[in-house]
Amino acid sequence: MALPTASPPRVALGALFYEFLKVSLLASGGGIVWAHRITVDRRRWLSDAEFADIVSVCQFMPGPNVVGIAVCVGTRLRGLVGAIAATAGFILIPGIIGFSLGVLWFRHTGVPLLQNVLVGISAAAAGMIIATGLRLLRAYRRRLPALLFAALAFAGIAIGQFPLLLVLLALAPLSIGAAAIAGGRAR
Amino acid sequence: MSDPAALGRLAAHLALLSSISFGGVPTVLPDIHAFVVANHWLTDRDFADFLAVSQAIPGPNMILMMSFIGWKVAGLPGAIASACATFAPPCAMYFAAYRLWNRFRDAPWQRLARAGLAPLTAGFVVAGGTVMARTADISWPAVGVTGGAAALLLFTRLNPLWMLGGAGLVGALGVL
Repeated sequence: MALPTASPPRVALGALFYEFLKVSLLASGGGIVWAHRITVDRRRWLSDAEFADIVSVCQFMPGPNVVGIAVCVGTRLRGLVGAIAATAGFILIPGIIGFSLGVLWFRHTGVPLLQNVLVGISAAAAGMIIATGLRLLRAYRRRLPALLFAALAFAGIAIGQFPLLLVLLALAPLSIGAAAIAGGRAR
Repeated sequence: MSDPAALGRLAAHLALLSSISFGGVPTVLPDIHAFVVANHWLTDRDFADFLAVSQAIPGPNMILMMSFIGWKVAGLPGAIASACATFAPPCAMYFAAYRLWNRFRDAPWQRLARAGLAPLTAGFVVAGGTVMARTADISWPAVGVTGGAAALLLFTRLNPLWMLGGAGLVGALGVL
């Protein structure tokens, strides 16, 4: 799928910092849900396809992948300073808040009510991640090979429990090959 | 127990592991666990507690996890150094890789690569949610919460905060 070649919208550094600060604070367990909602649905900085493109690059890299989304969105919109603004927004203030909360938590013991609340939140968070993945697939819903490879990628991780990099390296050449054949036929 | 030498070794180890943590930091957690326990910096119990709390707190979970370990080893400077060691090397790599990828965004080979990779990415994200659901969904009502949140996000424009808040409330009632 071709991405629009037009240059991305001009985005203020403060907006990058602020929106990724929100992504980080809202994301209990699944930053990708909020990164997608804010950058694609709300701010319209990126299309679904561009977002999927960024997540694809991040899959190949080591480290915390959601931070990678901040780095790549910042880079796409404003280059190096954009990457720094988005990453700082993602890490700085949420890190200080989270660290303080954690130290407080360790000094007191867990409260049962809070733990029950966490059970509910993590159940909903899991469902939201599943929905975000399905959204990324929507652009490909009429292409049978794409759906097949999405299902294989899902099965390799969720059922086979293989390491992500292994599944990626095994399926990527086949999936790209299928896309090349389909593209050749369409032309 | 502030010990600069220990902190140096911890930070170097975290920087190395985060640079090879393909598939995310959780893939190298077993290695980090073995390293800190073998050095008698943390007990098994400490490690499990740090992990649970860093997962529960909103924010960059794995960076928080490492800052808790650094805090235990060398106080606040330890927390800061460990957090930086965890995110700085991968961030530099993300930046370089994306710049390179973006330079060829109109190349025919990259269109094909993108068409092939995007469905895999979608499959991985759904799988990640499913794996998380497996640990989060401790009962049938919890499965219902997961399914309901997925459906609401897909088919409505409801703000996800309402879903998280509602689910937290249901959890507080103790029915999950």
